[in-house]
Amino acid sequence: MSKSPSSLPIEIKISTVVAISAILHSSDPIAIDAALKQMTGGVSDFFEDEFAVIDVGAIAAGATYIDWRALVDLLKKYRLNAVAVRGATADMIDAIKARGLALDDGAGGDRAREDVAAASAAVTIAPASAPAPAPQPVQAPAPHTVTLPAMIVDTPVRAGQRVYARGCDLIITAAVNNGAEIIADGSIHVYAPMHGRALAGASGNADSRIFGLSLQPELVSIAGVYRTFDDGFPAELARQPAQIRLVGDRIDISSLTSHR
Amino acid sequence: MARIIVVTSGKGGVGKTTSSASFSTGLALRGHKTAVLDFDVGLRNLDLIMGCERRVVYDLVNVVNGEATLNQALIKDKHCDNLFILPASQTRDKDALSEDGIERVLNELVKMDFEFIICDSPAGIEHGALMALTFADEALIVTNPEVSSVRDSDRILGIIQAKSRRAQTGGEPVKEHLLITRYSPKRVENDEMLSYQDVQEILRIPLIGIIPESESVLHASNQGNPAIHFKGTDVAEAYEDVVARFLGEERPLRFTNYEKPGLLQRLFGTK
Repeated sequence: MSKSPSSLPIEIKISTVVAISAILHSSDPIAIDAALKQMTGGVSDFFEDEFAVIDVGAIAAGATYIDWRALVDLLKKYRLNAVAVRGATADMIDAIKARGLALDDGAGGDRAREDVAAASAAVTIAPASAPAPAPQPVQAPAPHTVTLPAMIVDTPVRAGQRVYARGCDLIITAAVNNGAEIIADGSIHVYAPMHGRALAGASGNADSRIFGLSLQPELVSIAGVYRTFDDGFPAELARQPAQIRLVGDRIDISSLTSHR
Repeated sequence: MARIIVVTSGKGGVGKTTSSASFSTGLALRGHKTAVLDFDVGLRNLDLIMGCERRVVYDLVNVVNGEATLNQALIKDKHCDNLFILPASQTRDKDALSEDGIERVLNELVKMDFEFIICDSPAGIEHGALMALTFADEALIVTNPEVSSVRDSDRILGIIQAKSRRAQTGGEPVKEHLLITRYSPKRVENDEMLSYQDVQEILRIPLIGIIPESESVLHASNQGNPAIHFKGTDVAEAYEDVVARFLGEERPLRFTNYEKPGLLQRLFGTK
């Protein structure tokens, strides 16, 4: 039997986590609650305990008072774990730190965005009076220029596993199973049956696409615009080569075989 | 060199303990010194299925905590001289198992010249299941041909790839074997059940055997004898095949085809 790899009590390694951005357009907890309720449609595990970065950039200028404790508890209620605040003004900083939240000052531009891990899906929290927020990205962050080589995965991505190709394309040569999540800042290519959730253009690149030899995903998202398949993936496009693109604010799925 | 094999599934009630009992018995019957450990602390099932529940004095938690020695706690099987059972505790909870403690117990078993150490995992993906799989060299993934069981097996495979000691230290990956249990060719034929090909298509690990659905499993559990002892039943033969394949022998797949009863059989109801 192998021994422990190290006798050190702690090891520090760089690791990338994925978080969603909760972009506030109001500081009123009641309005936010109502908007979240409408968005999640009462599905209790809609957000599945994901990390959240609270983006107050849009309301910070108005110097509105924000009850951080209420806000964190509210997000927790929807199973979002607030870890950091983005776009905070100087007078908010003490209150934010007192709540144990990290600051993402955004000054580093793209770099800061990457450090907190790019948003996998932008969630917009608008006042309740606004019409039901359509799933679309409100803030269009500058698309990443994809210069890094693609991330290649040769082993099956299984239920509960999450793969994130930061700042590049993701190529998977093995099956992606239901319950798995594959995320890329660039495009996603899967050369085996793809189930699970696929999120391309995670940091806002709307030109990203998802390509697959045999698609049957539970959810797809491009640049934060997502589509679920409650009634099953369109049968005429399932289990055959297809691509998924963002056309306007709509997810478009087209066959790759009909063009032959 | 001893091999540590975890029998796990994620989902409960799919046949982990039944399979652990028959698999370890099968290895012992072929002359290999084998220990089978029940990690389902708080429930304790293995000793019932092995028929040794009245001989339990000390358990895994006692040994982990140093309250008893392994020699005191190991129960010799009533049928095979080569087989020893380490039962779980019914009065503790799973948090009583510490990683260091388990490692020490397993190391000691290796020193006692056990060739195979079978860890019968509890259901779920919590602490107890993690403790059972952490030190595994190989894994038997017990799966029913049914969507939720397959999904949970997929999940546990991912956890083995991430959390096992071999994965953490970057060693050779844990060797995975798919064991499909409660298989009913008739129900597969009628599209009421996933076929073994469907299951393999999703999980994509080598198949080590298919155990047919059978009443003899229930009889065996009730009597406290592992199903592999019931010579002549399809379940016993299927488990013998699994053990043989595990030891490197070639065996054709059996019990996968539904044979419609012939005319004479239907007329006379004979076998």
